[in-house]
Amino acid sequence: MQIEEFLHPRILIVSGKGGVGKTTVSAALALVAARHGRRVCIAEVDRKGTLPKLFGGGELGYQPRELSPGVWGMNIVPDEALAEYLDVQYHMKRVARIFSSTHFVDFITATAPGLKDILVLGKVWYLEQGRTGPHFDTIIVDAPAAGHMLTFLSAPTGLSDAVRLGPVQRQAEWLVQMLQDPHRTRVHLVTIAEEMPISETIETSQALTERVKIETGCVFANAIYPQLFTRGEREMFDALVDKGDFTELRGEAAHVGLRLEKEDVEALINYATFREARREIQAKHLRKLKKGLDETVAELPFLFAAGLDLPLLEEMADVIEERVEQL
Amino acid sequence: MNPIQEILAKKEIVVCAGSGGVGKTTTSAAVGLRAAVEGKKVAVLTIDPAKRLASSLGLKELSNSPTKVPPRKFESADLKPKGELWAMMLDTKTTFDEVVMHYAPTQEQAERIIANRFYRNIAGTLSGTQEYMAMEKLYELYAGGDYDMIVIDTPPTRNALDFLDAPKRMTDFFDSKVLKWFLLPYMKAGGGIFKVANMAATTFLRLVKRIVGSDVLEDTAEFFGNLEGMYDGFKQRARDVAALLQSDVTSFVVVTSPAEESVTEATFFASRLNESGLPFGALVVNRVHPKWADAIDVKPRQISRLEQGEDTSRLLGKLIANEQQFSKVVSLEERNLDALARKIPRHRWVRVPYLEREAVDIGGLSAIADQLLGNHSRG
Repeated sequence: MQIEEFLHPRILIVSGKGGVGKTTVSAALALVAARHGRRVCIAEVDRKGTLPKLFGGGELGYQPRELSPGVWGMNIVPDEALAEYLDVQYHMKRVARIFSSTHFVDFITATAPGLKDILVLGKVWYLEQGRTGPHFDTIIVDAPAAGHMLTFLSAPTGLSDAVRLGPVQRQAEWLVQMLQDPHRTRVHLVTIAEEMPISETIETSQALTERVKIETGCVFANAIYPQLFTRGEREMFDALVDKGDFTELRGEAAHVGLRLEKEDVEALINYATFREARREIQAKHLRKLKKGLDETVAELPFLFAAGLDLPLLEEMADVIEERVEQL
Repeated sequence: MNPIQEILAKKEIVVCAGSGGVGKTTTSAAVGLRAAVEGKKVAVLTIDPAKRLASSLGLKELSNSPTKVPPRKFESADLKPKGELWAMMLDTKTTFDEVVMHYAPTQEQAERIIANRFYRNIAGTLSGTQEYMAMEKLYELYAGGDYDMIVIDTPPTRNALDFLDAPKRMTDFFDSKVLKWFLLPYMKAGGGIFKVANMAATTFLRLVKRIVGSDVLEDTAEFFGNLEGMYDGFKQRARDVAALLQSDVTSFVVVTSPAEESVTEATFFASRLNESGLPFGALVVNRVHPKWADAIDVKPRQISRLEQGEDTSRLLGKLIANEQQFSKVVSLEERNLDALARKIPRHRWVRVPYLEREAVDIGGLSAIADQLLGNHSRG
């Protein structure tokens, strides 16, 4: 797939179970879009996440802030979205500000469930339409974890069943159109190759297409250990381990001026064995994932890190570009 | 004695907390399993609607009251439990109904509340409800006295603060004086919004009406009207739960991975426990990459020379490159964990490395339990 085609829908919603690297993938996608000349806004949804930290720190507010060239970040807080909505629709911003300190949004949400989600999606719509604030070519929504995401995305569809809403109901319909139009919106799911995240991803993907009727893009399987050995090398490795004689390895090391102690050799064998074992577990889950999905699975590598920064994000963006082109 | 052994020996309530995706549910199940094997009657309460706990215990599904794990499920893992293992999954809405039934002065009032549309909307969705009901269920199980130990797996809130504050947030919402002040004139005016005398309240109600429609307001006013007289009960219970959690029958287990953001979260959570006077018991560090030896001192030039060579040489090149990558992860993880050790002393830690086997059944859980108790002989 051409990257231009991948970036054609302007709204990219990224979701997945907690701890699978959703924010990392959102940020890397933003870098990809920015490399291709897009002005990008990454929107977190009502939470203080790790996004700003990936770009060097600070906090995110409701007003988009430039995090790196071409990439802006913001946090869509329902209270502020409501204030903005009331201001744009009814010129009632001041009133809403007063109530925001009195559980107003909690109250509103309680009277009409899903309204909070609608407020957030409404802001995404504003961003898409360029109604408030600067123009963005691509809007990446770092969506809530998968379970909640279905409720989040079904909110506009479900709303009219729950309460009679007048103008809000009409606006909810605009949101449904926005979400269900594959030229405007695409959901990308992120998972890791472990049992629970995989089953949840399959369920979410089905629910998205069947229940919410939103087009899914691809599924990113994150933190996959890259392949270490060719088949021949693996056979050689197994034979070596079976024999338990590593003199030959030591000899090759000495040949390049490297002295390997007994514990060094053990570490070499153990790290490789560990990687192969984890890869086998991952491969099993990946097979299950691919079998259960219609979407293409794009594998993203484990980056051998324990925390992320901009250079690693750039590396992740390189891989995403490669994977997208292979789709 | 390692900290988990200590908890198993002395505590009756174990609360597992931490950010998402670090293995809270598995840890809870493994702790519960071991306590049951050793002779306790244990209830494991999960909040995560995912079916993992059920399937790892060999059960089809879990409900809002505890289900017993049949002893034959243990046999397949060569375990002979001296006690019993029970498991349940919190159903927020059902628990909320039970709470209403419990606190309403009359049966009729309880039924009116449960039938109210506003109530039906908030019962499962209002922020903090799930956490409040989890605490409620925990208290109920404890007060019932049927179990020797209750292990609870907290909601996967990203921010640990949410979980600790949620019950209070929810009771505050119900008891918000400002809200009632706005709604009260409406309740007394017999339904006509414009009969309200209070100007600020009128503006508020107009606003709400514009957004959600006026019939919703009637439900809301009725709900708050019916709730009159029940607040004290809610608050008393919230205080009782808080006292139970602070008492020495309880122990909090903070679960983390060595990844930076998870460690930050765990540090923060531990200090919050401390501030709130809640008893911290152990830190479980999951998903640690194993360290086999100090990193080999090798130059990139040497690796590439090996990789350009013939069979064994090339294989060695790959093995060393792989060792270097893992050594890097190990040292980055160590750095994160060192920062954590400055906040939580290492003798309260239990490290669980990545296992080559997943906790998909009782045998897998038992292997995790071995790790948690510092008993590394794997079956």
